[in-house]
Amino acid sequence: MKRTLLPGLLCLAVFILLEAASLHLLSRNAQLQRLWIARGAHWVMAHSWGATQSVRSYFSLSSANKQLAQENFLLREELERSREQLRKVWTDSLQTPQHAGFSMIPAEVVKISRNKQHNYIILNRGFEDGIQEKSGIITSSGVVGIVDAVSEHHAYAFSFQNSDISISARLGREGGSGLLVWDGIHSNGALLKEMPLQARYHSGDTVFTSGHSLLFPPDIPLGIAGEARVVNGTTNEIAVTLFQDFSAIRYVTVVHNNSLEEIEQFEP
Amino acid sequence: MRQTAFWISYILLLLAQLLLSNYFRFTPYVMLTILPVMVLSISTRVNRIAVMIIAFATGLVVDLFSEGLLGLNSLALVPVAFSRDFVIRLLFGRELFSRKEDFSVQSHGWGKVALAIFLAQALFLVVYIWADGAGMRPLWFNAARFGASLVAGFLVSLLTLPVLASDSRK
Repeated sequence: MKRTLLPGLLCLAVFILLEAASLHLLSRNAQLQRLWIARGAHWVMAHSWGATQSVRSYFSLSSANKQLAQENFLLREELERSREQLRKVWTDSLQTPQHAGFSMIPAEVVKISRNKQHNYIILNRGFEDGIQEKSGIITSSGVVGIVDAVSEHHAYAFSFQNSDISISARLGREGGSGLLVWDGIHSNGALLKEMPLQARYHSGDTVFTSGHSLLFPPDIPLGIAGEARVVNGTTNEIAVTLFQDFSAIRYVTVVHNNSLEEIEQFEP
Repeated sequence: MRQTAFWISYILLLLAQLLLSNYFRFTPYVMLTILPVMVLSISTRVNRIAVMIIAFATGLVVDLFSEGLLGLNSLALVPVAFSRDFVIRLLFGRELFSRKEDFSVQSHGWGKVALAIFLAQALFLVVYIWADGAGMRPLWFNAARFGASLVAGFLVSLLTLPVLASDSRK
């Protein structure tokens, strides 16, 4: 093996050397060829630099992801603040009671289960970071779960892919609202239950959080409405394809309704 | 003795190539060359690196003594020398090297020898025309030049072969 490889490599080296010498002579003696060789050399350099840059970028993806998640969180916080201001202006003008604001905390998913009927999520933030029980977990693609228990540095949450969880959701921005639950079969499948029969509905409508659950801010897009069926002749049940890909969750935002305790005092 | 005769023929053909390069330029579409067949005919006893150096020197001599660009013939001829072993192994069998024999029309027939010359000529012309054009000439011109030069060079090389081939040196 060594006996055949070494002379082969030597031949290749001599070949490259002689070709390089020829190119050198050519570039020294002809203006046109000099430009042509320089262009070729630049092309090679650009491509090799491009390739190394791609490799470097690949290895820095993790930090880029973290930076983007942080940026995403800040933007979402900003958006929520703006929404809150708008809501305030709107409610002030109608002289109705003001909606409570939501506090937001960015978190990273430490563990998530996806192959059970009662799935859960563990986050890397706990009460020391300001996480409280009964907080919602969201991403830019929708609702992920609800915080159930909090330790010093971690939080345990029910995933939306849990048959015990339901979220108040609305069809379109001003359509009828119902309860959104996981269909228990598909990772991106859900059912919008208890929709009034008279509520206008079109397949392809976007489903949003309604804001009635107190755990999630309103108007978070959740998914796309599909086919509907009438249940017991009284309500519609609409299939929903969720935007959230549960297999790719890493960075989330924990939202907490600042007026939750105050509102709960009124509940029996 | 046979080797000395070959190298004398080689030098004479080199002079002939200088004449071709300097005085037989009728049209820009045809570039007459017998350099590839000369390199192809070098004995299998000469090792590959030496063949490449000989090809480089041959190209350089032609570039120096004709009106061409210095380095252009060397650039095109060295790949012919580099690929010579592959072509010979492919067409005439690898035992030619182990037996240290040279290919010949008598032993291998016109077909295989002509194909070997055609391949060497084509490789030389691809590199030569590509580098000579320096990306400035249109593709149709390069293609026409390649086709015309390949046919002309191939025919001239076939005529040259009896001078170099081992049959005539026996």
